Amino acid sequence: METFAQSLTSGLLTGALYAMIGIGLTVVFGVMRIINLAHGEMVMLGMFGAFWGQALWKLDPFLSLLLWVPVMFVGGMLVYRLLLRKIIPGGELNTLLYTAGLSLLIANLALFAWTGDYRTINLSYGQEPVRPFGISIAVPLAVAFVVALAITASLWLFLSRTDLGRAIRATSQNGEAAILMGVDVERVAMITFGLGTALAGAAGVLLAPSLYLYPTVGELLIVKCFVIVVLGGLGSVPGAIAGGLLLGVVESLGAVYVSSTYKDGIGFVLFLIVLLYRPSGLFGVGK
Amino acid sequence: MALLEVEGLTRFFGGLRAVGDLSFSVGEGEILGLIGPNGAGKTTVFNLMTGFVQPSAGRIRLDGKSVVGLRPHAVARRGIARTFQIVKPFPGLTVKENVTLAAFLRQPARRDAETAALEILSRVGLAHRAGELAIQLTLMDQKRLELAKALATGPRLLLLDEPMGGLNPSEVDVASRLVEEIRRGGVTVILVEHVMRAIMRISDRVLVVNQGEKIAEGLPAQVVQEPAVLAAYFGKRGA
Amino acid sequence: MNRRLAPWLAGAIALAVLPALAPNSFFLHVAILILMWTLLGAAWNVLGGFAGQVSFGHAALFGIGAYVTMILYLKAGLAPWWGIPVGGLAAALVSLPIGLVCFRLRGPYFSLATLAVAEIVKLVALNWETVTNGPVGFLITGLPPVSLFGASVDWESKLPFYAVAALLALAGLASTAWLRSSRLGAYLVAIRENEDAAEAVGIDTVRAKVLTLALSAFLAGMGGGFYAFYFRYIDPDAVLNISLSMEMVFIAMVGGLGTVGGPLVGAIFLTVVGESVRERFQVGHLIFYGLFMMLAIRYMPEGIWGRAQRLASRFLPKVPGHGAA
Repeated sequence: METFAQSLTSGLLTGALYAMIGIGLTVVFGVMRIINLAHGEMVMLGMFGAFWGQALWKLDPFLSLLLWVPVMFVGGMLVYRLLLRKIIPGGELNTLLYTAGLSLLIANLALFAWTGDYRTINLSYGQEPVRPFGISIAVPLAVAFVVALAITASLWLFLSRTDLGRAIRATSQNGEAAILMGVDVERVAMITFGLGTALAGAAGVLLAPSLYLYPTVGELLIVKCFVIVVLGGLGSVPGAIAGGLLLGVVESLGAVYVSSTYKDGIGFVLFLIVLLYRPSGLFGVGK
Repeated sequence: MALLEVEGLTRFFGGLRAVGDLSFSVGEGEILGLIGPNGAGKTTVFNLMTGFVQPSAGRIRLDGKSVVGLRPHAVARRGIARTFQIVKPFPGLTVKENVTLAAFLRQPARRDAETAALEILSRVGLAHRAGELAIQLTLMDQKRLELAKALATGPRLLLLDEPMGGLNPSEVDVASRLVEEIRRGGVTVILVEHVMRAIMRISDRVLVVNQGEKIAEGLPAQVVQEPAVLAAYFGKRGA
Repeated sequence: MNRRLAPWLAGAIALAVLPALAPNSFFLHVAILILMWTLLGAAWNVLGGFAGQVSFGHAALFGIGAYVTMILYLKAGLAPWWGIPVGGLAAALVSLPIGLVCFRLRGPYFSLATLAVAEIVKLVALNWETVTNGPVGFLITGLPPVSLFGASVDWESKLPFYAVAALLALAGLASTAWLRSSRLGAYLVAIRENEDAAEAVGIDTVRAKVLTLALSAFLAGMGGGFYAFYFRYIDPDAVLNISLSMEMVFIAMVGGLGTVGGPLVGAIFLTVVGESVRERFQVGHLIFYGLFMMLAIRYMPEGIWGRAQRLASRFLPKVPGHGAA
């Protein structure tokens, strides 16, 4: 029972970070109907941002959030404005392939610049796990979880309470109606893409102290990200949260009770099952 | 035995009952008009009959054999063809290519299919536009093309989903005559329409549905006077 | 008839003559790579360009072909000329359940599913050590002594591999040309134009897609089998990598989606670029693939060959009959 509680907890914690990554992707899809294949690379950039922040400037990764989140937000907006905007009219397929190219470009530029060596971040306060209720939790993961909760909560408030947030939700639900209502859809799209990128980058920063870092990690992450958003329903933020938590738990429990080598595969199989039997996702928000 | 027998056809979308316990039959060579207010479930009935949507309950039999559970291409092969309310041509292809693709169902050899396609194009009055791209056609011609594609599959039963929408009165008359000619050619027709002029003129019988249920059935002139039908269209006061 | 065969004849002659003109064996090596990637690009193009189904998991089919060919050679001594087609068949067989699962989905959902499937296949290869040797992979140390037309084949020279690669590439392009003029090809066009309408006029869209995938898988699997014999070493990272899938996509896209000659043009372009920068960048040639992919979609979405054809049709007189290659 203790093992169950342990792996459930660790699954939930990781799941929360997965959820953040998923929210970034799903929010972009909701507003612009594009699936950004380079999303995994955005997470990777956040991870390496945290790494280099610490390696070069002795900046604590969690503090470096304050630097990287705005940077990635602006970066995302620029990517949209300068690159994607002209591509989107060409259709879903072209845009998908374009982001595939972008993903390859970013991952391999990183590989070229930083080599494929695995990096880790060591935190002085991260050596000993905390043990609430007898469950061992690594400190960096715990901090990451708390910050992720805070970020997600503020995102929620932003989307539901502010005018811009409402504009984003409106565009997501019905782009044409939003235009008719006077929403500057172009501006909303640009901001949403920046937001999605910032969320990905933030997740990367938060995850960095807990994982091995390498430039091609985006490949694995993007597939997991799809599992999450498809599970939850493309375009649904609550769906991404649920999907992320679910994936985290399934992987964690699967590693313990099924097989640790096939742990990653469990998510993919789950993904295929959901795609087949409930393609609009567990929350039925749909295409 | 009637050509088409529908019994207890029902379809739920979540909590919404789009079609409820609908039963009717169509005899060979008939033109059955299917009318009802918007949202009555008429297109859903067509989707159910052609395999685009599966029924929650009920039976659909063509020539005594069930077509429930078949995918649309298999239903077409059995002999039920349909047009779409918003036409679905193959936009980047020529008119002739559009119809040839449909003709492949009964004529596997390309040359035979092309011949059959051209013959059908003449029947619907589109032969002179055979080489034009489908997206470049006028609305009336696009509807002719939609009809031609359905006919090219050699159906026993043809389902027409609001083919007259957007046509002016003289175009409606032309279209109505075309439908009658198709019937003379041996094809049974179910016609969903809002344009009463056409329904009254060419239907042998009319079926009225509202909120997924049958509320009247009979000769055109009778049916449009029934209180239930008037209430459905105009509200209780208008009856 | 003659006009259609002419480019093929010319191509076959050029291929036959090329080795004699090759200045050194590195040149032949690059030619072999180009031919292999032509085959792979053609394989992807069959599904992506003609059927309009964008797969990001084609490496799985390539890898299955590589592993099956390799294992049958090492464990059962099955010679390459049998092994490669068998590898292709194995990939085609595996593609059937993959297709049945993935084709229930449309558009981007399909693409994502192929990604997941490919990752699963890679995981299986990494972990099913009894069959696949896990991360260690397989190594060929010696190729079978064999003679053709009386002369014994020298496996150390590039020539036999060049010949096999040329044949495979031609097979890939020829299959594409056949597909384009067949009824199945017409059905694929219909499905791309409007899938609902295609179903409504009696086209079994699932069957069409599954058959096309099988052809695509067969070609990709043969490419994998060839890879196994030419490079003589395979492991999950080498033959089941997602970047392989992406390279196939890029070659088909940059060359010209839905054209017959596109994969050849794409393979030439990208291989030349890749090899030129390999010294400086090592794995980084993928940087350029990504970059050119983005540039192609932005400025030349019909691909190099597609654009060339469009320009040519404007300047050359119209000839009735089949469309351009």
